[in-house]
Amino acid sequence: MLEKVFFGGKTEQRVIENIKKHIKILCSASDCFRKALEEREKDLMLCVPDLEREGDTIRREIISTIYEGAFLPFLRPNICRFVEIVDEALDVLEDAAREFEYLDAKLDEEIEDDCIKIADINLKMCEMLLLAFETLLSREDIREKTLAIRIYEKKIDEIKFDSLNKLRGKGVKDFWAGKMISDFISHLTEVSDVIEDASDYLYILNVSLR
Amino acid sequence: MAELIPFAACILIAFGIGSNDTSNALGICIGAGVIKLRKAVLLFGCFVLLGIVLQGQKVMNTVGKNLLEVNLSILSISLSISALLVILSNWKKLPLSTHQVIIGSLTGSGAASGVDINLLSLFKIVLSWMVSPLVAFFFAFALYKMMEKTLSRLSLFRIERILRIILLISGILIAYNTGANELATVLGPVIYSGLTSKMPSFLLGAFFVFLGAVLLSNRVIETVGKGITALDPYSGFAAQFGAGSCVLLFTFFGMPISTTYCIIGGISGVGMVKGMKTVRLELIKKVIVNWIFAPSLAFVICFVIMRVLRH
Repeated sequence: MLEKVFFGGKTEQRVIENIKKHIKILCSASDCFRKALEEREKDLMLCVPDLEREGDTIRREIISTIYEGAFLPFLRPNICRFVEIVDEALDVLEDAAREFEYLDAKLDEEIEDDCIKIADINLKMCEMLLLAFETLLSREDIREKTLAIRIYEKKIDEIKFDSLNKLRGKGVKDFWAGKMISDFISHLTEVSDVIEDASDYLYILNVSLR
Repeated sequence: MAELIPFAACILIAFGIGSNDTSNALGICIGAGVIKLRKAVLLFGCFVLLGIVLQGQKVMNTVGKNLLEVNLSILSISLSISALLVILSNWKKLPLSTHQVIIGSLTGSGAASGVDINLLSLFKIVLSWMVSPLVAFFFAFALYKMMEKTLSRLSLFRIERILRIILLISGILIAYNTGANELATVLGPVIYSGLTSKMPSFLLGAFFVFLGAVLLSNRVIETVGKGITALDPYSGFAAQFGAGSCVLLFTFFGMPISTTYCIIGGISGVGMVKGMKTVRLELIKKVIVNWIFAPSLAFVICFVIMRVLRH
């Protein structure tokens, strides 16, 4: 009884568990993406759309549980927005995975290395986002985690501009081949921007009731 | 037949308290989704009754016995005018305090009919009207500071859970005060005039407050609830509990004070913690004008009517 009163009812617990599951799916999708990129295995990339669909189901469940009455109305919009941003990260990762599938030619080695680095940092950012969310359940300070996410995002930006410079010096077969590579890199680097937005929302959520 | 006039006026005022003050007490809780409207209204009714039964005595003494010796004519005029002003202010959406209107009416009709008014008691009441918003201001200020040092250190979801519970406690406190202070101000003169005994009037008064809450409070609560949830529940609690504690303190001293003015004091206290810019000075000026206007208007109307009737 006391546990329920002071630590949250069933609906709140369900939302918290589902948000954790949602972020873990983002981590799994990022990990899967990185492996597929490292092994140059397009079939392996299919796990990303599968995980994205799973993420969609969880997102719907979280939103409907919140509308059932979980949490104070003051917190609800921020929690919903956070969940939607995490889902957006999954969508963007799926877009990158689709672009990878459509790439005809093999990626240039230099560019491929950069992409793997970006995918690796994306995974680290997802794991950090999960840690940051778990911090909301404890007394620890969330600022360190959000700062780490911002540093990771800056690193990705640096790699992105470096890659774009390299890309400008390389020739492409035709317009579509060039567009595919450009879109692939854009989507891959956009994931970190969205994760950074999600971490900013976590920070807002954390200070909103203080 | 003439004895029915104060009863009817009391019923109207109690009904008005129920329809308007339920939002003072539980508007935040309902808006925050802590409790459903039906349960809130029932809880409100129960705590109003509990408040008047357990602690209404001192305020009733002050208003019905210490301030002046009431008779049927004073009672009829003052309560009828009070009821009329309360209904008119609700209709025109002017925030008039029931306490101030009743005290103004009683002293106005008392002065006109030549009854001795205990000036010391009147001075204490007016002083408590001046001091109470300031006390609520400091209570809310201190509470907010204390919460920053204790509650804020907990995890977000723990804070959210605890806020749900303390918001409900704060709402219950205001409901209790509505009985112990507001309803006691209305019933005090009737009981001490000897028109009725205590327990039946407590039950009847609480019943009409409850009826007002059941029939008319939902629209007010909707407005207050929606308005307040746009603010953060953290500050809302500090302001409301600060005000509730202040009204309870003054109830111990038997002083009839306005919950609404205390809540305004509480909100200003919380605003002060966040910076002077967040306090709307224009609103405070408006409150001060109303504070002077409400009892003066009630005094003048009752004084004139009583004089006219006596001649």
